[in-house]
Amino acid sequence: MFWIVRILSILAVVGLCFGIQAFALSQTLVAPRLFALTGLYVTLAVSLNLINGITGQFSIGHAAFYQIGAVVAGFLSVRFFADQPLAGPVWLMAMGVVGGLAASLAGLAVGLPSLRLRGDYLAIVTLGFGEIIRIIVLNTDAVGASYGLNVKPKLQFIWMIWLLAALCIAVSRNLLKTVWGLAFLGVREDEIASNAMGVNVTKIKVMAFILGSAFAGAAGAMLAHYEGFINPSMFSMDLSFIVLTMVVLGGSGSITGSVLAAIALFLLPEFLRSAPPVTGSALVAGALSTAVSVAALRWVTHHVHGETRRKVLAYGAGLAGSVTLFLLLRLLLGNVPSLAGISFEASKLRMVIFAATLIILMMLRPQGVFAHHEFSWKWVGRLFGRTNAGVKA
Amino acid sequence: MKGPILQVQNATIKFGGLTAVNDVSFELAQGDLFGLIGPNGAGKTTCFNLITGVYRPTTGSIMFRNDSIAGLSPNRIAQKGIARTFQNIRLFSVLSAAENVMIGCFLRHKVGINSALAYLPPAIKETSRMRREALELLDLMDLADVANSRACDLPYGKQRRLEIARAMATQPELLLLDEPAAGMNPQESDELMRTVRRLRDDFRKTVLLIEHDMKFVMNLCERIVVLDAGKEIAAGPPEAIRNNPRVIEAYLGEAV
Repeated sequence: MFWIVRILSILAVVGLCFGIQAFALSQTLVAPRLFALTGLYVTLAVSLNLINGITGQFSIGHAAFYQIGAVVAGFLSVRFFADQPLAGPVWLMAMGVVGGLAASLAGLAVGLPSLRLRGDYLAIVTLGFGEIIRIIVLNTDAVGASYGLNVKPKLQFIWMIWLLAALCIAVSRNLLKTVWGLAFLGVREDEIASNAMGVNVTKIKVMAFILGSAFAGAAGAMLAHYEGFINPSMFSMDLSFIVLTMVVLGGSGSITGSVLAAIALFLLPEFLRSAPPVTGSALVAGALSTAVSVAALRWVTHHVHGETRRKVLAYGAGLAGSVTLFLLLRLLLGNVPSLAGISFEASKLRMVIFAATLIILMMLRPQGVFAHHEFSWKWVGRLFGRTNAGVKA
Repeated sequence: MKGPILQVQNATIKFGGLTAVNDVSFELAQGDLFGLIGPNGAGKTTCFNLITGVYRPTTGSIMFRNDSIAGLSPNRIAQKGIARTFQNIRLFSVLSAAENVMIGCFLRHKVGINSALAYLPPAIKETSRMRREALELLDLMDLADVANSRACDLPYGKQRRLEIARAMATQPELLLLDEPAAGMNPQESDELMRTVRRLRDDFRKTVLLIEHDMKFVMNLCERIVVLDAGKEIAAGPPEAIRNNPRVIEAYLGEAV
């Protein structure tokens, strides 16, 4: 029974991944790439969540693991792909494993010094590590140095990218469902107490680094083969910070949060790139209604308690109200002559909007959108009014 | 077999110029209810930290079942069978009471992490077995009703008992309790006394405890060591300690 369910669910996930690919490919020219990159960001965020959110080891060098995977796999493909018998997908899978292994070795190297460091100090070490890797690659001619590496052949399988993301999510979820996961959480909550309870804190921390970096490395291998080109500037510190932002914004420790924040934060600037120009009236209306909605949502946070359903309804009402306000204001301000001449290109404002979104969300929910909660069907049931008398008792 | 389970011999630890514990020796037999008392700053908690491996003694030895444990890491010592609670409660605050106790069970898990990552039957079974054990222990400590509450949401007295439950989950032979009755009302501390006695009588644990509540210590412990300013000033059964002039002096000051 167990194995039947397990095999069926694996098949379902694989099917879903092919579904995503089919959908992506049926889109316009630029869309498939966004689907692929979103999958990679999901993998990065969920794997960093393993280190940062679940085990509590503040790492901001995740781009380095991503880069190691990309460079190692890319290099091997350039050298050996033509002279070997494996088909594209099999080779890519093998490269994912190799990239993952290479990155996890690096994870081990970072994990070991981290045994003595906590919080800010560890963050500095991982930051330094990330830069070291980038600069080593930048100065190594064998992997293209500052020019980068043309990875041939391009192996573009969106399904495999999403399968990797699914694997990463499944592994994190599985871990948290067992007593092993509790040991990881214990290290995050209180190292001294965990140690006194016989948990080998050292081992747990190193395992977290190995696991998290392995997934980032595998994602790097996928990236190299999808893009067909890698360059050290693709793995700058910014990338580490964006992925870290995804984890924190989604709610440190929450897998659901990491997944959704990765999708949202990656796609937001991408969509703003092609958004219509922002008129003066829309800008003023947007700023005003955002301010009002922040105030309203803060009020909801402090004053509406009790059932999930009530809270979600209150938040929904707050958001809907501010959207209405935005539309109304834009209509009213449309006739103001001094605003009429102003127009901004959305693509230029996109990073401002991105940053403002982050600030507002962190003001409203410092613990992250999902805090430490996970998606569950029980929660959905409660939302749609299924009785929760049993839960309360 | 009755014999010394823990021998602390001439243990000394210096932090720079400060000698926190100075030439302290005592011996616990299997099944002892042993008290460690003394005024604030006497070095009681430092003694616990020496026994549990947080610090390594500058000189002296610590033997557990005739095995030197000085200098081992805390998790190794816990695996050998010494568990402790903390003076300033150190629970895993956002985890539930049951999960806290399950982490105590973790050192006995036999299934590798790969099985957990793939969520295979051995890991699932191990997890549910440990959950059952945790619930039994919560029941023992009278915490069954709060098994699913977050540890930080529990009232103070329950947090103290949860710490004992978590320490018991490691199935230790020697249990170190650091001020278990601190902050409890008289009724709670009476109940705690009965529970600790049960841990010895029914579960054959040896208990070493630090406590400031003299009534608690005098009623519960069968032997007591008194520390003052890092030095051992008295040792013996409660009656002898109660009337020992040096102990009275340490606590109340010199008679005028």
